[in-house]
Amino acid sequence: MDAANITLVLVIVTALAFDFTNGFHDTANAMAASISTGALKPKVAVGLSAVLNLVGAFLSVQVALTVTNAVINLQTKDGAPNPELLADGGEAVLLIILAGLAGGILWNLFTWLLGLPSSSSHALLGGLTGAGAAGLGWAGVKWNGDGSKLDGVVGKILLPSLISPVIAIVVAFTGCWLVHKVTESVMHRLEERYFRYGQVGSASLVSIAHGTNDAQKTMGVMTLALIASGHWTSTTAIPVWVKFSAATAIAAGTYLGGWRIIRTLGKGLVDITPRQGMSSDGSTAAVLLSASHLGFALSTTHVATGSVLGGGLGRGTPVRWSTAGRMVTAWATTFPIAALMGALMWWIGDSIGGAFGASVVFLLLAAFSTWIFRSSRREHVGADNVNDEWERAAEITSPAYEHAPVTHSKNGSGPPGPADDVADRDQVEPTETKTH
Amino acid sequence: MNTLQLLLEGASEVFFAGLVFGAGLPFVYAVALRVMTIGATTYADPSGEIHSTPKMSSRLFSGLLIAVVVAGVVIGLMIIVATGFGKEVTFDTIYPTITDK
Repeated sequence: MDAANITLVLVIVTALAFDFTNGFHDTANAMAASISTGALKPKVAVGLSAVLNLVGAFLSVQVALTVTNAVINLQTKDGAPNPELLADGGEAVLLIILAGLAGGILWNLFTWLLGLPSSSSHALLGGLTGAGAAGLGWAGVKWNGDGSKLDGVVGKILLPSLISPVIAIVVAFTGCWLVHKVTESVMHRLEERYFRYGQVGSASLVSIAHGTNDAQKTMGVMTLALIASGHWTSTTAIPVWVKFSAATAIAAGTYLGGWRIIRTLGKGLVDITPRQGMSSDGSTAAVLLSASHLGFALSTTHVATGSVLGGGLGRGTPVRWSTAGRMVTAWATTFPIAALMGALMWWIGDSIGGAFGASVVFLLLAAFSTWIFRSSRREHVGADNVNDEWERAAEITSPAYEHAPVTHSKNGSGPPGPADDVADRDQVEPTETKTH
Repeated sequence: MNTLQLLLEGASEVFFAGLVFGAGLPFVYAVALRVMTIGATTYADPSGEIHSTPKMSSRLFSGLLIAVVVAGVVIGLMIIVATGFGKEVTFDTIYPTITDK
């Protein structure tokens, strides 16, 4: 096996590893609300999401080959690598992709350890931008579009990330407010499970959409590496094994469940009821699909987080602003830090050079991943404790602490309904139950 | 056109579509549930659990509203599938159609 082939194998393995982290990092976007309101049991939720991600990945035949074109000048318009970069058998392109993927994985793992929902696509594009800037110089980075469409780091990453949470907050707030206005006079006669059905429906849509969008990105990057190294020529089709392996990797990652992030988004930010959950998930699904339909690049993570926040605010449920602040910090830093890591990885790989340099990058990534995994073992978060009360209750600053009853008898003191085992707030403070 | 204009244009389109579907459909769903309770006979069984028998007219109207919500979900699925196959959903006709981009 020659040097380029060794690097190619490392790129493919790293791409699948990124896809896997992409899966567990983003399970929360679709399922955190359903898990926290008890619409689905944790294991069932991640299982459903994994299957739907798999279905979504196969639903798409379009080739997302030009994924790096959003931020760097690595490829031509039709998706083939720039010919001038292929002089050395594609090694230059392969190293940029490898370093970029490594940068994305490092940041994804680090934010997962902290339980922060940061955008996987920003991590990927950030890593690639950093590695691209290091390998191609500043001229290799596409900062802004040419004025005909939103493009580049500013148009596809920076600006949408500022505006998408706002859209999601307003949509979820409005939905939540309307749903409560309509149902508040008959709260005690409506079963929460009906709202949970609505929630599961919209969460499922988000999962499928995630599979079609995000799995495609990894497939695109893998195919780009294959073209660069001369193992594939078509820019309109991708190898079947690429599709199968990427779809499986994202689904497996989703099934693993990023419990830390699910916990932060479902419990840590704001404690929501099924009514709020349905509004939040409805907002996430609608905003994402509208954006996808209109060709507007949004991060699923920003939309999902904004929707949960909007659903909470729509009912005046107290928000843990310190958690929200940590999330916003993670959003703002994802792209630049992943870029720095990508650049650093490229620099290490390039300084050593050849397949050995690529192997060192790969080994560093493996070592860091192991360290993160070992660190995560110290504070276990899993399906068993993902819904436990958020201990840092002192972070709640808002005075009102309203919540909806699950089921009532006419005098309000009847036995708990079937859903009470999950609606733990009602057990903690049963005397505060009131009808809205 | 400058980037900011493009952004505001794209974002406002997403916002309005998001509002119609994302806030509108949960609202319609909630109305459907609310309608079921109008004029319904309810009683609590000895264990305190509430049982409710909705009127036929409520059932029908509510069913109609649920159908609207289901249609919204189907449009969502159409968009996902169409995007995946490099096509798009158009709303030029009364019903949404999948066409080439």
